[in-house]
Formats: sequence, C-alpha cells, structure tokens
Amino acid sequence: MSTGLGRFCQLRGHKGAPLLAAALVLVALAFPAAVAAKPPQRIVALSPFAANTLAKLGVAPVAIGQTLGGNERFSPKPKGVAVLPLSHPNGPNLEQLAALDPDLVFSSKTWAKGNLAMKQLGIDVVLHDPTSIKGALADTFKIGEIVGRKHLARDTLQAMRGEIESASKGIAKHPKVMLILGVGRTPFTFLPNSWGGDIVTQAGGELLTGGVSSTSGFERISDEVVVAEDPDVIIAVPHANEEDIPSLTEYLRSNPAWASTRAARSGNVYISVDNSLLQAGTDIARTILRVRRAYLHN
Amino acid sequence: MARRTLVLAALLAGLLAAAIASMALGAVKIPIGHVVEILFGGGGNRTEHQIVDTLRLPRTVEAMLVGAALGVAGALLQGALGNPLASPDVIGVTPGAGFGAILIIILLPGSIALLPLAALFFGLLAATLVFLFAWSGRNRGSTGKVVLAGIAMLSLFTAGTTSLLAAFPERAPSAIFFIAGGLTSSGWENLETVWPYLLAGALVAVTLVRPLDRLALGDDVAASLGSRPRLIRLGAGVAAALLAAASAAIAGLLGFLGLVVPHVVRMAGGTSSHTFVVPASALGGAALLTAADTLARTLRAPIEMPVGPFMVILGVPLFLWLLRKAV
Repeated sequence: MSTGLGRFCQLRGHKGAPLLAAALVLVALAFPAAVAAKPPQRIVALSPFAANTLAKLGVAPVAIGQTLGGNERFSPKPKGVAVLPLSHPNGPNLEQLAALDPDLVFSSKTWAKGNLAMKQLGIDVVLHDPTSIKGALADTFKIGEIVGRKHLARDTLQAMRGEIESASKGIAKHPKVMLILGVGRTPFTFLPNSWGGDIVTQAGGELLTGGVSSTSGFERISDEVVVAEDPDVIIAVPHANEEDIPSLTEYLRSNPAWASTRAARSGNVYISVDNSLLQAGTDIARTILRVRRAYLHN
Repeated sequence: MARRTLVLAALLAGLLAAAIASMALGAVKIPIGHVVEILFGGGGNRTEHQIVDTLRLPRTVEAMLVGAALGVAGALLQGALGNPLASPDVIGVTPGAGFGAILIIILLPGSIALLPLAALFFGLLAATLVFLFAWSGRNRGSTGKVVLAGIAMLSLFTAGTTSLLAAFPERAPSAIFFIAGGLTSSGWENLETVWPYLLAGALVAVTLVRPLDRLALGDDVAASLGSRPRLIRLGAGVAAALLAAASAAIAGLLGFLGLVVPHVVRMAGGTSSHTFVVPASALGGAALLTAADTLARTLRAPIEMPVGPFMVILGVPLFLWLLRKAV
C-alpha cells in the first residue's frame, strides 16, 4: 500500500490526521482538475458513432469494431487502428479485446452480454448508440467529456447544430414516406423513435407508421395499411451492397402488395445501402441533405 | 363411420369459418358486404379492391393450401414410418428449406427474389440426402434408417442456419418471419412458383392412401398382400418432401403443424385409417393455419406477427385435451 491513500490510512491514528483530511478536501474542491481522474488513454470504439465522434474530437482509439459483412461508415477512415470483428452475442472476441488492454470501451446495447463480460475483465464500458438526432448531439458532448475534450466537444456540437439547421431549411413539401428495414416480403418499418425515422422526419418526410409505436423503433406493419396510407416514397434499408441496388429496387417495385402505391407507380422506390439511415452517424446534416435531394425531392 | 363423418363435417365447417374470417378481417376495416361484392367483381373503392384481391384472397388461399399440404405431409410420414413423432422435420425438409432461405437472406440479399426457389431446392435436397443414405447399405429403407438419416440432416442444416445467423446478427431481423413461420401478402407470386410441386405431392399422396393402410399392418403382412413396403415408404417420403418443401417456400418453417394435426384427427376420428386421416389432416391443417394467420395479422393490427406461435397456441390445447382423453 504505497499509494497516497494508503499513507493517509496509516496516519489515521495521528493527531494531525483530521487537519490533513480537511486540507485534502479543500484542495479537491479548489482545484478539481488536480485530483480528477486522468482521461482514458486506451479506448476501443465498438460502434461507428463512437469511432466517428472520437475522430471529430481528435482522439485515436486503439481499436474499432466491425461487424462481419457490415457497412459501417467511418469518417475519416481510421488508419493504423486495429479492427475487432464483432459477432453475436459478445461483440468482440473477449481475449482479443483483453490483449489490447483498454481502459475504456464505447459499446452498444447490441452487445449486452459482452458488455457484462468486459466489465468483469475490469474494463470501463460506456454505452453510446443513439437512435435520435437529439441523442446523437447529447452523446457527442458526453463522449467529449469522458475523453477530456469537453471544450472541443462543445464547439463541435455548436457546429453540428448549425449544419443541421441549415440542412433542414426551406423544405417545400412533406411527402409520405415508408422507410423499411431488411430484405424479403416481410420487412420491418422504421418508426419515429428510430435513427432513420428521425432523419426522415427532420428532412421533411411524413413517416408512415400505421399509428404504431414501439420501444424498439421498428415494427412489421400490415401491407393493408401500406396500401391504404399510400406512401409517396418508399426507402428500403437492406443489408446489401451497391451492386445489389438495381435488383432490389426491381424486387420492391414489383411487390404485388405495393404495386398500386404512389411510390411504386411514380418510381419513387429507393434503396439505401450505406447504413446512414440505420446507424447513428456524426455527419447528420449531410445525411439529411442526401435524403432530401435523393429521395424526398423537397 | 358416423363419428368420422361428423369429424370431417366439423373440420370443413371450421375451415369455412376460418376462410370467411380471413377474408373479412384485416388491419383495414372493410365491410363484409363490400368484401363479398369485390369477390364477385363489383363494389368497393380502388383501395378496397387492392386489399381484397391482391392481399387477402391470395393469402387466404395460400394459408389453406400450405396448411393442407403440411397436414397431409405429416399424415403420410407418420403412416409410412410408423412413428408418431414423424413430421417434415424428420426427413430434413423443414431444416433444409430453412437453410436455403436464410442463405439467400443473409448472404445473397441481392437475389432475394430467389428465396422461394432456394427454400424449395434445399428442402428437397435435404430429403434426397436422407433417402440416399437410408436406402443404401444394409437394412436399406428401414424406418430406423430413415429416421436416423433424417435426424442427421436436421442437425446438419440447423447448424448451418444458426451459424449464418450468429455470424451476421444485424441481418437476422429479415429472417425472423421465415424462421417463426409467416405468410406474406405478396399476391400470387409464391404460388406461381411452387404450385407444380404441391400438385405433384398431392397426387402421389392420393395414390398412397390405401397402400399406407396395408403398411400399417406391418411390412411382412403388407408384402404378403402384394404391397412393396420400401417403395410405399419412399413414395410417401417423396410426396411429403414435395408438399413440405413447397409449403416452406411459401410460409417459412411451420413443422409443428405436420406433427400435430394428423394426431388430432386420428384421436378425434377414433381411427388410423388413411382414407380418413389423410383428407381430415388436409382439412384440419388448412383450418388451423388459416385461423392462426388471421389471428397473427389482426390481434395487434396493424402490427403483423409470425403465424407459427399462434398456430401452436391454437393447436396445443386441443392436442393435449384429445391426448388426455385418448390415454
């Protein structure tokens, strides 16, 4: 026990101990930075949002996560950073993670089981996987605080707010949009409390939900409601690649259940394969602008 | 005889009631009068026509055909293998079809239009492998070999499916409805793909009704009556594979139906004669799946849920009640 606290404990029986303790408290109150915990040095970012936020704040993680076959968007592309493949249910391979000796992991709810195991390994785990623009902005600041870049985070936040406001200006029309997740004839619909749902709403789209709400942000909605509500635009977010876009677009357009909708008849069926509507990103304004220009035409 | 007639009449009435409910109920309320008018070519607005003609009618027909096909497949297999636990799972069809569909969903999303064909192909491939192994070597074509080869294929294809899902967890949501069993509202496109297989399976099934009754007397007795037990078993397996693979291509994995429905009709009718069990299983399976699908898409409307769990909720209490009475 050679730490300061240990030495203090040894002094407990000494007459001057209460005075020393009071002095220490006064120092801590007067100069919090002097006693504050050092920002984490070895950070692992499992979610693209955390990785991108760290990049914006000028912090280099020791590793980032990447799902198998995933289309995670890293901006800018991290160079010289180890990539941890993520798979169910733990997320990263825990031995591989432990070998990196991280003092902090930015993780997500998806890897709940792994998060518990990481904590048992003595690693600090913080969850930042926002599903709304407001949440993304709040998390940007929180991450900045955690990594000791509070002021830069505040500036970044202000800039992001300004860009989002500018990207959402001058919306001329509010088309009815059905935003769907996955492939096949039984896709899930994004609800307003999902990342994609919030982006489309911010871009001026009126999200087709059939009046449904769900904590998960996604639900399988009856095709009867799709026909009755008649969306102007259908945007699909499948797990696919650029080269799959033509065949998937044709597959969706030819869905007998949706063939009569305004979206299918007017050719407003789109595929988004870059995950920008699925996972929270830091390029929020750019995503809103892309949705407006490429899909909503408003 | 009167009991069998009564059971068949009850099953037919149940099927009619389920079909009417399936056509009348949905996430969008359409007066039953309008539904009837639309079915006869008139009435209703454009949206109502679209919902009834393109969504509800094909889905109701699909539910009836898939339910009937799985019921018959189960009845054929239980009769041919003399095993009460036989179902399309046992000859590898359901897990094979599941693997084929998940392969497309997870690894080849750009070829998603091929999903029904992939399910059909892998379902039939799994059954073919089961028959090849069961009909080779010593004691070929025996019930034990068919069941053991089937369990091996079931394990193999299930392992393939779960490995794919575990490797690509973020892609799993697209596979949920197929795995849990779910009909889609996609017009007639699925039936256009698989109807020849359903028809072929049904025709073979019809020819096997009486031979299966002879097989029920035991292989030796059946052989002494001029039947060829191994050929009957193979024919029943082929018919069941065609019916179950085509069903999986349309509605995903609904193996439970093929297992339970033949038992229910056997216990209700008080006979194991296939002249009764096969058509009664067709009616019972059709009624059960149509009713369960109606529940799955209306109970939390407009949210749609997979039909598999509803079928179990409807089927298990009836099954257990009859089982208690039978014991």
